[in-house]
Amino acid sequence: MISVGVVANPASGRDVRRLVTGASVFDNAEKGAMVHRLMAGLGAAGVDRVVMMPAGSGVSQSLHRHLSGRTGHLAAQRLPELDVLDMALCEDARDSAAAVRAMAERQVAAIVVLGGDGTHRVVAAHCGDIPLCALSTGTNNAFPELREATVAGMATGLVATGRLGGDGLVRRAKRFRVGVNGDAVVDSALVDVAVTADRWVGSRALWRVEAISEALVAFASPSAVGLSAVAGAVDPVPRAAPFGLYLALAPPQRAPRVVAVALAPGLVTEVGVLEARRVDPGQVVALAARAGCLALDGEREVELGPADRVTVRLVPGPLVIDVDAVMAGASRLQLLDQATTRRADDGNHRPTGPGHQGAAPGLVPHDADHPRVRGAGAQGVRHRRDPRVRPPVCG
Amino acid sequence: MHKEFATGEIPGFVHLYAGEEAIATGVCAHLRPDDYIASTHRGHGHAIAKGCDVHGMMAEIYGKRDGLCRGKGGSMHIADVDKGMLGANGIVGGGPPMNCGVGLSAKVRGTDQVGVSFTGDGGSNQGTFLESLNLASVWHLPCIFVVENNGYAESTSDRFHASGVDIAKRADGFGMPGVVVDGHDLFAVYEAAGAAIDRARAGGGPSLLECKVNRYYGHFEGDQQTYRAPGEVDELRRTRDCLDAFAGRVTAAGEVTAEDLRRVDDEVMALIDDAVAQAKAAPEPDPADLLTDVYVRY
Amino acid sequence: MARVITFQKAVNEALDQEMARDPSVVLFGEDVAGGQGAGGELDAWGGVLGVTKGLYHKYPGRVLDTPISESAFIGAAVGAACSGLRPVAELMFVDFMGVCFDQIFNQGAKLRYMFGGKARVPMVIRTMWGAGIRAASQHSQSLYSIFTHVPGLKVAVPSTPYDAKGLLISAIRDDDPVIFFENKVLYTVEGEVPEESYTIPFGEASVVREGDDVSVVAIGRMVGMAQQAAEQLAADGIDCEVVDLRTTSPLDEDSIYETVEKTGRLVVVDEDNPRCGMAADVAALVAQNCFDDLQAPVQMVTAPHTPPPFSGLLEDLYVPSAEKIGEAVRRTTGGRVGARA
Repeated sequence: MISVGVVANPASGRDVRRLVTGASVFDNAEKGAMVHRLMAGLGAAGVDRVVMMPAGSGVSQSLHRHLSGRTGHLAAQRLPELDVLDMALCEDARDSAAAVRAMAERQVAAIVVLGGDGTHRVVAAHCGDIPLCALSTGTNNAFPELREATVAGMATGLVATGRLGGDGLVRRAKRFRVGVNGDAVVDSALVDVAVTADRWVGSRALWRVEAISEALVAFASPSAVGLSAVAGAVDPVPRAAPFGLYLALAPPQRAPRVVAVALAPGLVTEVGVLEARRVDPGQVVALAARAGCLALDGEREVELGPADRVTVRLVPGPLVIDVDAVMAGASRLQLLDQATTRRADDGNHRPTGPGHQGAAPGLVPHDADHPRVRGAGAQGVRHRRDPRVRPPVCG
Repeated sequence: MHKEFATGEIPGFVHLYAGEEAIATGVCAHLRPDDYIASTHRGHGHAIAKGCDVHGMMAEIYGKRDGLCRGKGGSMHIADVDKGMLGANGIVGGGPPMNCGVGLSAKVRGTDQVGVSFTGDGGSNQGTFLESLNLASVWHLPCIFVVENNGYAESTSDRFHASGVDIAKRADGFGMPGVVVDGHDLFAVYEAAGAAIDRARAGGGPSLLECKVNRYYGHFEGDQQTYRAPGEVDELRRTRDCLDAFAGRVTAAGEVTAEDLRRVDDEVMALIDDAVAQAKAAPEPDPADLLTDVYVRY
Repeated sequence: MARVITFQKAVNEALDQEMARDPSVVLFGEDVAGGQGAGGELDAWGGVLGVTKGLYHKYPGRVLDTPISESAFIGAAVGAACSGLRPVAELMFVDFMGVCFDQIFNQGAKLRYMFGGKARVPMVIRTMWGAGIRAASQHSQSLYSIFTHVPGLKVAVPSTPYDAKGLLISAIRDDDPVIFFENKVLYTVEGEVPEESYTIPFGEASVVREGDDVSVVAIGRMVGMAQQAAEQLAADGIDCEVVDLRTTSPLDEDSIYETVEKTGRLVVVDEDNPRCGMAADVAALVAQNCFDDLQAPVQMVTAPHTPPPFSGLLEDLYVPSAEKIGEAVRRTTGGRVGARA
């Protein structure tokens, strides 16, 4: 039985950046809808079960509304069984961490994450080598992508069921390991590590670039938003490149190089760059000791005193599914094709032909059981069995 | 207050703010004397943070003639309009519309004053709250709506009365930014409130701050809080106290010494003790006061 | 030289003159201008019956349309009044008071008292009242007695264009919250109104017709009805004194007692429903304070204890008529003592 984990963070996008920038986020009702669409894609690809972190604040309610409202075409499509983890919620980052550990124990074949950079960071710290599908739920994120959830589900399902995989399709992301005062690992970051003069973690969000003195970025695209954009303007670093970039920043009037970048949605700012140099894998970078905060992936996380010393090391990070590459691979290997040998006129009632209701047999592995209705657990979802579809005869 | 109320000397209803101090402090630190706040029935914290005289407040709570409201308002209506404190309010949704009025006044008169209303998670279900969000949005008013979500509308949890959905999300429906803030973290409240207030002053319009927090005492004094899980309050006091958190962080960061903090505590304790003593000794209102100040002139 | 204008125009003029004189006066309510956000004219309505027309363009930024959110904008009137403005908010029909009554009676009315005299709420709420245009139960009520009942509020119910202008100017200049009642049927009634600005003090009734036999104390549209009745009764030799209360809070009790002392007979006419209304209020005050002057029991002529009906025939029966007033007067003069209405 193939299971895929889903972490949908209800807390993403409630932060202060709503007040100080133009960032927009998907609300929790939309996140619930995304999970529903994700399940459609996963189900079509043959995933049997979704193991989900319980998500309050309207996400679960929205998901259940969508699941119980499936009529017509939707009703006949195969969905994985929904298994919501039975866990006590702390309503903070510990929930995602605990959920991922539980999913690992249940041996999920992949984990789909719906959230921002912060959510992905937490998941990545606990998922080991379980491949992630990283879906963004806002416009202000660098690590996950804005991607339609149904297709993401199909791609993840193809990887989870083992029909596609390998280097080109599931990539190793980079990660920064951060230590303070000699501790090996205090935390990690997937996108960037920055030192800011802000004295307190406060509302966590990082929006005043003038307070940032140094940063390390794992990848930098000139078309990104945020600190990555600064790096991208200076020395673009593709995600696939093994190295990262170190930046020292200064007020524009004191910097030898000044770039204008989209630091936040709606905000194009001049940023002074003192220094930019590549950082190799394994290389340890020491950040100048000063009072302030350490920000990881755009959120202030650790308050630093004047005597605190920070070291950062670029190391291998989580495995991330490249949805575009997987779908291209599926097309190339004709995994999306419907089975053309089984036709309605051979006497067997089976789903055939494009546009026919029910599972697309090409996506479902040959030796998988036709979906059976499983008893719903206390939080499980009962999906309806289409009376027109009789169990197939093997062949 | 908790102790004194238990002696039976304080008349009427008292609703204590203990546990929520970071919110009033973090928000009001940004306000000028000419900005206005509209509070809730749980208004002692807001009044102090806005600069109301503690002796006057205490005398008012005891219903004495020298109270801020001459003994005619009490804890639930404690106010000082001259300090921009438009009153604690016995009606939970009463503040937000008045907040709109303050914003309208500032806008028409061309000043950069702002208005802040405080509402509980319970009060945020009142039509007045939702209508006010809409009106402030439509009129583009310099109003900040702070929701102090302590998880309980009297005895009912917000998981029930708000479906567990962030109240900040309601702002989206009115085209207004709504953010969720940890109400135990003074620095988080201070930053978020600062951003909201600056934005309003600069003409950026209204916003909603939902500060998630906890209260220690009951809805009113005398409430046994049997609706809360056993040990819940003790656990919160132990692990999430905003005063402890603040003290710990500023001393660890070397900004303030434990000695300094102790000194402040001693000063405040002395102030409160003196206020109580004076309030107890203060004269009652004059019977003639019953009939005064209904109108400016009748 | 006084010229003749309608009640509606008199209200408009009062607003205009006060807004010109005092920049802190602002007007807001539903469709007080009209056309906001739409593709046609701004100030398209100037109020649902056109009472505020013309003010939107004349006082830019001080005439504001609102969404249908009475609790918010009436509450905003309270807050604005506490913080430097003199708002005139419009509650389109007094029948809508249910959705914003807290803001009026618990907030606006009480802030001064609860805060020990340290707050002022100089706001006016203008509102339409009255039956007669077949607007049915939820758009035809009177309800001023409910506001009169609340300490902290003042209530004005003008009956003529002259009184409307003077009382509204007084209301706007008053530092207390005033509920200003405009009878929708009276809007088209004409009367002499000075062009210049003037005030009429609150708590001063007006004797609109002098007489020796029976005092008829009336409110609002019923003043005119009482005058009609008085004309008819004069033909039968009954000489009525008609007193227009003008404001129900403060109430000019002295004028009521004076007229009762003079005639010894009292009929109170009120378009409102009978229970706990102004008619009962006046009757009780007189019974307590003028008992010895009364030659007959006080008669109250009111609407019945029903909601206002829709049908024209029924509505005309609902509103007290000159005939009903005449019958009540006769009961005080020659009918059986203690006869029921």
